[in-house]
Amino acid sequence: MSARDLARNGNGGGPAQLADVLERVLDKGIVIAGDIQINLLDIELLTIRLRLLIASADKAREMGIDWWEGDPFLSRRAGNDGLEDRLKRLEAAAGLDAGESKDES
Amino acid sequence: MISAAQDTGVYVYGVLAPDAPVPSDLETVEHDGLAALVREVPLDEFGEDVLPAHLNDREWLERHVRAHDDVLEAAAAAATVVPFRFGVICHDRSDVARLLGEHAELLRRDLVRVRGCEELGVKVWYDEPGATAPDEAPSGGRAYLERRRDDRRRALELAAERESLVADAHDRLARCAVASTVNRPQPKELSGRDEQMLLNAAYLVRHGDTRLAREVASLHAEHAPNGYAFELTGPWPPYNFVGEDA
Repeated sequence: MSARDLARNGNGGGPAQLADVLERVLDKGIVIAGDIQINLLDIELLTIRLRLLIASADKAREMGIDWWEGDPFLSRRAGNDGLEDRLKRLEAAAGLDAGESKDES
Repeated sequence: MISAAQDTGVYVYGVLAPDAPVPSDLETVEHDGLAALVREVPLDEFGEDVLPAHLNDREWLERHVRAHDDVLEAAAAAATVVPFRFGVICHDRSDVARLLGEHAELLRRDLVRVRGCEELGVKVWYDEPGATAPDEAPSGGRAYLERRRDDRRRALELAAERESLVADAHDRLARCAVASTVNRPQPKELSGRDEQMLLNAAYLVRHGDTRLAREVASLHAEHAPNGYAFELTGPWPPYNFVGEDA
């Protein structure tokens, strides 16, 4: 029995798990910049957690992202709430609220 | 537009030695003793303006990521291949040749490093037994605190046990391999499994060498009764063993 046969058996005989393929094809292999710029960190697919996985932990930390080390669900909710607050503050700063109240008066 | 819009690009999958067999539906660009494995791709699929959207289209990404791997797997079954990461796209073949020239040293080093080898993946899963619920309500504050302390100590012991089991297993597997690397365990959201992944490692082994696969089987037999599962994947093109950091 070859290593290939053994591996196939171990893998249930089906196609490779998508997670294993993504991890290798998006995060491993030779990185060379072609002519067409592609930023794999832009992939929002499979939630931000996948982005954090395919960026290495160190790279993510450099970007100031480390909340995956805590509870991802709580952290994500907190992140979203923070975003909403920020959006409201930005809207206020842009005078959107002021504009609305002027129409009403 | 002033000039006719270019509607194709050249997608580079990886690099082969120049005399290596090439899968039938692919081409090579040869330069400086290296052969890039390429395919012409439409820019309405791979152009800079559409890629960000496509990369976030789950179906598109899965299809093309699997295709990338399939091409490299077919090439690797027949010859030594240095796999590229997804998405190296050039305007034309002369740009591919320039790329080969610029990175010739690294590519040649990796061709030597992975020659005659394939990558196998090993994951160790742990099926955590349900937390032991207290049989009775704590009788008093002191008893409760003592139980909490005992539980915490037991949990730490178990975690240390798991860690040392996994480290030993990795050592045994690494002895069957030319090279090895340990990656971050995949989170459950990505693995899609309820079990906890304790080890996510890759091993570079010689073609036809079954020692690692057999070691995985015996590790699994040893530890399955205690809730561990050893899973072998591959063979893969040697993604984990090429590049600057390898």
